[in-house]
Amino acid sequence: MEVTHDLSFLPLIQNASFLVQMVMGMLLLVSMMSWWYIFLKMFAIRQARSQSDAFEEAFWANPDLNKLYKDYLDDSDSAGSLERIFGAGYAEFVKLKKKHGMDNAAVMDGTRRAMRATYQREMDVLESHLSFLATVGSVSPYVGLFGTVWGIMNAFRGLANVGQATLAHVAPGIAEALVATAMGLFAAIPAVVAYNRYSHDTVRLSSRFESFMEEFSNVLQRQP
Amino acid sequence: MSTLAYSEPYKLSAGALALLVHGVFFTLLYFGFSWQMQNPQGMVVDIWEDLPQSEEAAVAPPPPPQAEPVRTEQPAPPRAVKSAPAKAEIELKAKKKTKKPKEEKEEVVARLTPKQLAAQKAAYAKRLQQESEQQAREAERLAQAKEQAAAAGRVVDEYVAKISAKIRRNIVAPPGVSSKIRAEFDVTLLPGGQVMETELTRSSGNNAYDSAVERAILKSQPLPLPPDAAMFNRFRDLHLKFSPD
Repeated sequence: MEVTHDLSFLPLIQNASFLVQMVMGMLLLVSMMSWWYIFLKMFAIRQARSQSDAFEEAFWANPDLNKLYKDYLDDSDSAGSLERIFGAGYAEFVKLKKKHGMDNAAVMDGTRRAMRATYQREMDVLESHLSFLATVGSVSPYVGLFGTVWGIMNAFRGLANVGQATLAHVAPGIAEALVATAMGLFAAIPAVVAYNRYSHDTVRLSSRFESFMEEFSNVLQRQP
Repeated sequence: MSTLAYSEPYKLSAGALALLVHGVFFTLLYFGFSWQMQNPQGMVVDIWEDLPQSEEAAVAPPPPPQAEPVRTEQPAPPRAVKSAPAKAEIELKAKKKTKKPKEEKEEVVARLTPKQLAAQKAAYAKRLQQESEQQAREAERLAQAKEQAAAAGRVVDEYVAKISAKIRRNIVAPPGVSSKIRAEFDVTLLPGGQVMETELTRSSGNNAYDSAVERAILKSQPLPLPPDAAMFNRFRDLHLKFSPD
């Protein structure tokens, strides 16, 4: 590799060896994707929370389940997770109630199963991409480190060809290589923070959904 | 129903925000951080030592006979040496110049009116005067350079003596050393008077005395150096001789 003394930012990347450049490109792509998911999840979780708030308020303020269900059917596109769980449970409850000869416990079992199925689907959507953030957070420092090690290996191999080695011969190569580590860390740190934050948020949402399911079951059980 | 419905509207804005984050980050890296390294200016080295000598060699003409012995044999009083050949040279040249015009003049005289003759004479005189002035200036400049060199030489001598004296004070000579022996050292100095290397070039024959001198050299750090940093080149490699008093 050639020894360069230009340590400005762009030549530092341009002069890196091909493999290091590839690593940098990969890290840049991964970083872009992880930030995209970070913002996507941020919006999604914020929306899920506000929709749940709105629906819970409407649910406890309005004892007429039929009207709630009708509202849900009318505007199912803007419905939040909690509303969809309610809709699935109530639809199943009404269907089972219409069948004669079923005892109350069987009806409640069916309703719970329907709600649980919807709940799991909703949680699956909320948790999607979180594993990607976790992977980026744990792996991209290693990828960056790999690029750095490779770059430093090259720098030292180039050093072997120079008779009298000074720090000025190695420094540019090492600086180039370290850019890869910097990029790895730049991708990893926000991903880890976001992963921890969002997994905490989804756990809170899921416990909120579960308690709603229990409360709603009680409400249904009281229905005549 | 599509459970993914709610995340659709945010895809674009999330992508734009991600791009924005990276854009900000790289702009910050590119403009907010000075990547360029500046080479230190300390690498410029001026070698002063050779300058006066080469000038002397180049400028000094084959000197007049009476000045010759003084110049070649004794470099010690360089001031006297310098001015003597220079003056002689000027006189010589001046004589030549004055002779030549006279001969020419005599040839031309017949064809010239007295007025023209007078004008020509004046021109000659003027030119002669200019030339001699110029030569005088040059000689003066040379003399100044010489003087500076001589002054530098005196400073070097003075500080070499100071260095030797300081080291000598620190020598703890072993008992029973003959005062006739002599140890010679090559000492390499760093700016600031630190000793980089000492090398025994000629042993005194007494190892104890040699190592005593070496210890004294190291102990005398920093060695006294003239305050003018440009003079340091003359002190980089010193050859010092020590004998027990």
